[in-house]
Amino acid sequence: MRVRVRDADRGEVVREGRAVDLRALDGDFDLSPRAVARVVRGESPDPGPVHDHVGVITATVSVSPRAALAAGARSRGHAAPQAEELAAVRERLAELDPPAVDLRRARERVADASDAEAEWRERVATLQGRVQALREVEDDSEDVEADYGETKVDLESAEADLAEATRRLSEVETERIAAKQALARARERAREHRETRRERLRLEDRAGNLRRAARDHLAERVSEDFEAARDAVPEGDFSEDVRTALAVARVAELDAPVVVARGADPFEMPAAAVRWLDAPVLRV
Amino acid sequence: MLLVVTYSRAARQTLRNVCNGHEETVVQRLGRAALLEATELGAFLALRLRAKHAGDVQVERTAPFNEFAAVPETVQDAAAAYEDREHPSTPYAAFAAGTDHPAVESMRDAELRESAESRE
Repeated sequence: MRVRVRDADRGEVVREGRAVDLRALDGDFDLSPRAVARVVRGESPDPGPVHDHVGVITATVSVSPRAALAAGARSRGHAAPQAEELAAVRERLAELDPPAVDLRRARERVADASDAEAEWRERVATLQGRVQALREVEDDSEDVEADYGETKVDLESAEADLAEATRRLSEVETERIAAKQALARARERAREHRETRRERLRLEDRAGNLRRAARDHLAERVSEDFEAARDAVPEGDFSEDVRTALAVARVAELDAPVVVARGADPFEMPAAAVRWLDAPVLRV
Repeated sequence: MLLVVTYSRAARQTLRNVCNGHEETVVQRLGRAALLEATELGAFLALRLRAKHAGDVQVERTAPFNEFAAVPETVQDAAAAYEDREHPSTPYAAFAAGTDHPAVESMRDAELRESAESRE
């Protein structure tokens, strides 16, 4: 590989070989596997899935062993028996497109219509009471000429109000019934749409189980090599995660370079790291 | 009570978290669903879930079930008689044939009565 980086003093620096040591350089290097791939020129291939787990090994690296090891097993050409079913489940998942379920408007319309109906029903009851009372006054006052005219005016106006209120009540009743029916239909549709969602959830769970089973199967395939590699990590004061990362990198078949940082590097010479890991190594 | 049913992994996880944090409001956990108390706090939790996961959360309000108010006597009697049958292997259809017990088909299409106290 050929690495091209910028050094604070020396400007652009080019280094070549399976082992490239950047420790002497003064630069603020982006160590993500993608960034490393960008500075590495030549025939070095893109980082693989294993690099997402152990592509950059620093003193504070964090590794989930089974997932990393499964990726390592894949890099060595192992396949999981669950792969085919998992692909089929994912394909079905991609095809599922559950329609939106939103009954908010329909519910709100029913609630509004019910409120309006209650309001007008109360108004009608009040007006009925008033009309009733005025009719009684009218009956009582038929003999008393003076009051009669005024009562008659009040009664006519109350009767008109009552007629109007009754008309409005009938309107909002109709609206409430229509809103209720619309909500019932929307609920029915939502029920069908939720079937699709239920199916999606079932498939997602199935995919999750298959993925875990595949990961465990693959990790198992290389577990002996992994244990041996972890026992073979050279002595040093390193965390469990660093040891695991180094061992996974050793077990995996890596074409793209692995970054090994100070504090996570038990190798005396870059060339030793390349031999032990059997991969191109960038020391930083 | 409020029945909250979830339809995605994310919604199910949020429901679990909500249940863990509010055990006093959770009446019953049922896998990807839960029964919450019919309180404002129960409603608040249900609405939060729906705000976050939209159509992946279904909220229903349950009503107390009173068979004496909602279910015809014939159906009540049929259930009791069938559970008291002589031969456990007799299917209901055979059990009901030639008796006054209602047929499965007729029960399927008959909605329950809405009793006043079970109405929402």
